[in-house]
Amino acid sequence: MNICSLIVHTKPAAGTLVSERLQAFHGVEVHGGSEEDKLIVSVEDEGESMSPVSDTMNALRDVEGVVNTVLIYHYGGEESME
Amino acid sequence: MKLTRRDFIKSNAVAAAATVAGVTLPVTNAVSADADDGIRWDKAACRYCGTGCSVLMGVKDGKVVASQGDPDAPVNKGLNCIKGYFLPKILYGEDRLTKPLLRKTNGKYDKNGKFEAVSWDEAFKTMAEKWVAARKAKGPKGIGMFGSGQWTVWEGYAASKLLKAGFRSNSLEPNARHCMASAVGAFMRGFGIDEPMGCYDDLEHADVFVLWGANMAEMHPILWSRLTDTRLTKPGCEVHVLSTYEHRCYELADNGMVFEPQTDLAILNYIANYIIQNKAYNKEFIDKHVNFTKTPTDIGYGLRASDPREKAAKNRNKGKLSKISFEEYAKSVEPYTLEHTSKLSKVPKDKLLKLAKVYADPNKKVSSYWTMGFNQHTRGVWVNGLCYNVHLLMGKIAEPGNSPFSLTGQPSACGTAREVGTFTHRLPADLVTKKDAHCKFAEKTWKLPAGTIPRANGKSDDADQSDISGKPMGKTLIHAVAMHRALKDSKMNTFWVMCNNNMQAAANMNDESLPGWRNPDNFITVSDPYPTVSAQAADLILPTAMWIEKEGAYGNAERRTQFWREQVAAPGESKSDVWQIMEFAKYVKVEDVWPADLIAKKPEYAGKTLYEVLYTNGQVDKFPAEQVTDSRGNKYDNHESADFGFYVQKGLFEEYRLFNSVKGIPKKGHEMADFDTYHKVRGLRWPVIDGKETLWRFHEGYDPHVAKGEGVKFYGKPDGRANIITAPYEPAAEPPDKEFDLWLCTGRVLEHWHSGSMTRRVPELYRAVPDAVIHMNPKDAKKRKLRNGALAKISSRRGEIVCKVDTKGRNKCPEGLVFVPWFDAGRLVNKLTLDQTDPLSKETDYKKCAVKISRA
Repeated sequence: MNICSLIVHTKPAAGTLVSERLQAFHGVEVHGGSEEDKLIVSVEDEGESMSPVSDTMNALRDVEGVVNTVLIYHYGGEESME
Repeated sequence: MKLTRRDFIKSNAVAAAATVAGVTLPVTNAVSADADDGIRWDKAACRYCGTGCSVLMGVKDGKVVASQGDPDAPVNKGLNCIKGYFLPKILYGEDRLTKPLLRKTNGKYDKNGKFEAVSWDEAFKTMAEKWVAARKAKGPKGIGMFGSGQWTVWEGYAASKLLKAGFRSNSLEPNARHCMASAVGAFMRGFGIDEPMGCYDDLEHADVFVLWGANMAEMHPILWSRLTDTRLTKPGCEVHVLSTYEHRCYELADNGMVFEPQTDLAILNYIANYIIQNKAYNKEFIDKHVNFTKTPTDIGYGLRASDPREKAAKNRNKGKLSKISFEEYAKSVEPYTLEHTSKLSKVPKDKLLKLAKVYADPNKKVSSYWTMGFNQHTRGVWVNGLCYNVHLLMGKIAEPGNSPFSLTGQPSACGTAREVGTFTHRLPADLVTKKDAHCKFAEKTWKLPAGTIPRANGKSDDADQSDISGKPMGKTLIHAVAMHRALKDSKMNTFWVMCNNNMQAAANMNDESLPGWRNPDNFITVSDPYPTVSAQAADLILPTAMWIEKEGAYGNAERRTQFWREQVAAPGESKSDVWQIMEFAKYVKVEDVWPADLIAKKPEYAGKTLYEVLYTNGQVDKFPAEQVTDSRGNKYDNHESADFGFYVQKGLFEEYRLFNSVKGIPKKGHEMADFDTYHKVRGLRWPVIDGKETLWRFHEGYDPHVAKGEGVKFYGKPDGRANIITAPYEPAAEPPDKEFDLWLCTGRVLEHWHSGSMTRRVPELYRAVPDAVIHMNPKDAKKRKLRNGALAKISSRRGEIVCKVDTKGRNKCPEGLVFVPWFDAGRLVNKLTLDQTDPLSKETDYKKCAVKISRA
């Protein structure tokens, strides 16, 4: 299981628009920050068939309106530890 | 609603990001970060670049399961880059080495044998026999150790003692020679003391940022985030970017410039000339704080003496400064007019003018950043100095926002290689082996007989130092590139490579490195966690505990010293570098390497091992082993303390402090806090005096070494003045010609760190950028009938490799230049590069040699 969170800086006033673009990716959720143009984003892998989170994160950087992405948190442990 | 485990982790991750960004989330599903189930969190300095981010490591059941940027760290303020993100995975590559491996045939060491697992005892016995024999037969340069800017502080310190005091050899170099030596050379020439005067706080204080040969967006992403934040939020903030090709930083650039390789020398002189012509310079500042000097020109390219380019050089390797007047200095930069410089550099005039104007504007605070573009340069010391010239002319230095800043590539190039002084010519805390008095101070501190440490010229009190070889000590200095040459020439016969991958990293692998290592006369040891290109080319491989598998300390680019505790145990029989250095010392006796007359000066050392003399001297073994516990009561192992029976890291660090933090030391300005303090804080920037760190050096009010009323004082120099050093543009060693018609520039990419020995083992990073490609201009590709993605052969006078062509990637090359990264062990670009160095700093220039490209 891989779960990451990141901050995505957008071009001025582009927060809402970029947020919509990011949500189109599998495993990506935007949790806030549209007004500040600093999106709080989580990326997680969704089972075997999905691309690894690193691919998704690389793809996010190339989304129009994204100025910079910074990673904050990564969990890479096993899922079945409950 | 019941949170699943996945939801729980995700909400922690999101909460951490929101906190760092200062964003309030619309729906709070926040879970307190310390509610992580059973995960022990503790700080560590990141393993990769010189930025020195602090990361929090989440350990559960003896394994690192999670990581996050440290929100309490002043450097990264909770941020992390993609490499840092997957940091824990570097520990868990499938091919970790777990046992010492020695080349053997029929049960005996054989240079051409196959690697077989051996005990540590057999490994060190074999090695010691070779080392002692080489030391006796060939003198102080017969042995060599190649360490690292990734060594922890005490590992570098222990190594310096082993080589300089134990083996009585100055054949100790760090890979930082390939990386920071030019920066060091310029600091010493300009200011008389190493490392930047400013700090990362300048990233928020500056009005203008100028990048000179630094791709911060990829190589220092966290600093780039801070810079980006300032650019986007501070009115009037500008970013100027200079490089020999376009990279990601150009996306943010207000003034992006691509210049012809080597002409940075001319551009900087043009700026100085512009400042003088427009009388914009700060007369009061230069009258009070600056001396004007010149450096010898036509100094060669650090190639072998037999090379025609060396024979043609008038002042080969010369660098002695001579004083000149301001008028003479002004005259020396006069030829660098806008017209001339624009023509030479191929940068449009309006862009150069825009750049010169921001430096010349007294109301704009300018921070200049550079990394390998300046340092890996056959005129690296010069070009570093030319940048200081511009800042000094304007007095834009050593104060918030006005900051010429040399960034580092390795996590402890500053803290270990430079501050401890693991270079051939250095001793701890900026002391040097060419000064008899400095050596004597080190001998006294280390409780050694006078004359133990080899002087640069082999003479103490004007008399030859005696040697175990029976011959006079002779000249003892040997730099990194010369070591590979000496191995090839059988002048050096044993070589220990630790914490780096020099077979992949050194230039001109085919002609120098590989023949040197595989020379039948030589015995090569490589200590590494992984079977790197270097390990595979060695005779003995030592499995190594890495990073948070040991207690460590790094010093970053802004003079910040940071500690961490051992978080997890190393696999198998792996041992840390400091353990290996100290344990190996048990296998060598004083009589093996010291002449009788030296031992006679300290008869109590007779019959002792180097381990006893160096590491159980009453200082290093002063602190008993203790249970390491943090302020929250969490407990940590310390394998070195357990094995040696005393607190190894503390003893080494406290002895090191006798060089930088007590009364009567030869060079002030490097003061550090005591060992225990660093475990409690997120690092401190030296000089640390009375527990207080220093943000801007040389400036009254910030730096305690500058007295009230002095204003600015460059106290590294006896007269308190910095040197402006004039130097001209001189051409590169191997410019393109008819046959080899392209410049080759090598470097790094965001996803991989250096030779990729760690990052290529992280599946996510490997997947993101699996192979090195040739970045080239579409027109150059078309001329050679190459399409994007086609396989191409790239060759120089020294070798060839095959790579895919990339005309659309993140680096956009101008016509006439290609860029190939060096992380890829399958495509070794250093088969192509030339072993040219700055003749002053001895640092390799990896940025400029001539190649040709054709279809593969």
